[in-house]
Amino acid sequence: MVEPIIRTENLGIEFYRSRKRRLSLREMVFRQGTTHSSEMFWALKDVSVSVCKGEAVGLIGANGGGKSTLLKMIAGVLIPDEGTVTVREGVAPLIELTGGFIGELTARDNIYLTGGLHGLSRDIIDERFDEIVDFAGPQVRAALDTPFRHFSSGMQVRLGFAVITTLDEPILLVDEVLAVGDKAFKEKCYTRMESLLDQGRTLFLVSHNEPDLTRFCKRGLYLRAGQVVGDGEMSEVLAHYNRDSESGL
Amino acid sequence: MNVVAKTARLWQLRQILWTLVLRDLKIRYARSWLGYVWTVLDPLAMSTIYFIVFVGIFHRGDVGHKPYFLFLVIGLLGWQFFSAAITDASRALLMEAKLVRSTNLPREIWVVRVIIAKGIEYLLSLPVLAAFAVAYGVQGKVDFNWRLLYFPLGMIMEFVLLIGCGLLLAPVTALVTDTQRVIRIFLRMAFYFTPIVYAVQKVPKEWEKFLWANPLTGVLELMRAGFFSEKVRWESVWVGLVVTVVILVAGVWSFGRLERAVLKEI
Repeated sequence: MVEPIIRTENLGIEFYRSRKRRLSLREMVFRQGTTHSSEMFWALKDVSVSVCKGEAVGLIGANGGGKSTLLKMIAGVLIPDEGTVTVREGVAPLIELTGGFIGELTARDNIYLTGGLHGLSRDIIDERFDEIVDFAGPQVRAALDTPFRHFSSGMQVRLGFAVITTLDEPILLVDEVLAVGDKAFKEKCYTRMESLLDQGRTLFLVSHNEPDLTRFCKRGLYLRAGQVVGDGEMSEVLAHYNRDSESGL
Repeated sequence: MNVVAKTARLWQLRQILWTLVLRDLKIRYARSWLGYVWTVLDPLAMSTIYFIVFVGIFHRGDVGHKPYFLFLVIGLLGWQFFSAAITDASRALLMEAKLVRSTNLPREIWVVRVIIAKGIEYLLSLPVLAAFAVAYGVQGKVDFNWRLLYFPLGMIMEFVLLIGCGLLLAPVTALVTDTQRVIRIFLRMAFYFTPIVYAVQKVPKEWEKFLWANPLTGVLELMRAGFFSEKVRWESVWVGLVVTVVILVAGVWSFGRLERAVLKEI
């Protein structure tokens, strides 16, 4: 048996029901013990999954099922309240693609900054710079030295995708980003992702698009209300999910 | 120990840390060419005002060392570093919420990089201090001495103190909306509780001990030692060092405790 590259054990995380609730001092002073259990819910509960190197896993489930939360825990940007996540190799998260980009700086500066933030050295970025810009397209190349905030949202995402997929990390997490971009760019993304998979990288894909899921993923993982209710062959898990959706679960 | 392990981890990531610091400075100077001037202008303007008030109006320039203006500049530059760094560091996790959410770096890095960026701005403001010191020096009004070597020690102490305070405040600011207002009031009070416009040696004996508990007292004593002939109040340095270390340890500990809640909120 091969050692799994990602392993979660009894993973659980609890959130406030109103996500963006920020406490104010007054609230804390005048209403003691505001954290009733009714205000909390488990976004994920008892999730135990093992993924081996080179596997491509598609995450499906209704909105609020915990798909993105699971990705974020694997990416290490959320810390579990229960259980453990063990990720044995580096992760390239396509979650908030343009998260590291600063509107004030030029696209060129942003490529170096984001690359550097994910651990690429200056020399390596120099080497891959043209490749990144080529992938992002001629529009981006023409605007390399204008501030990033002048970019259209499509251009921003294209540049983000180009930078993140250039990272060497062996695990790739993709959260719905394929929904953006025009048709031609989408095709480019698919090709890029297929070549990454061929290199033996491990993929986690969150999507509501069945053709995408079956194209990339052999294995499906179905999350419902924070729990894994299906784990197996992609087509079977999809069928399970569709049955549930039709019966209104 | 926890502090050592965290420091070692940040040292491994120094290249990334440096990238972030450069980005900070770049953004600051991309927005306004006055960026650098502001860091110097503020303390100089305040020094002038205090000089007018205390020397011109009250005729009490003797609350500090002589030359009083140089005394003020050292104090206010040090204070500016402190208050600007506290203000920015307490917002560090909120301002960079998108980055914090999308990169798996030790979260302490977001606080530390703000303090380093502010520290570099402070270093850049030192030539102004040097210019004033030389101007007073050629008139024979400054008693330069070998204790100038204490100056960098004061800077290091202030830096460590800021890391501790930043780690304490940043998660609280992300969780509790009102924190920033509290910090603003606290900073204004702390200004008068720090020997900036007056010298710790001029404080009545029964009050002086309270000032020792403020680590900035020790920091400013170290910074001023090389320019004036007055004796350094070593008690304030030793007590300040202990307080600094306690704040650092408490900061690292509480940051680790609150991290989980912060990541859910931002």
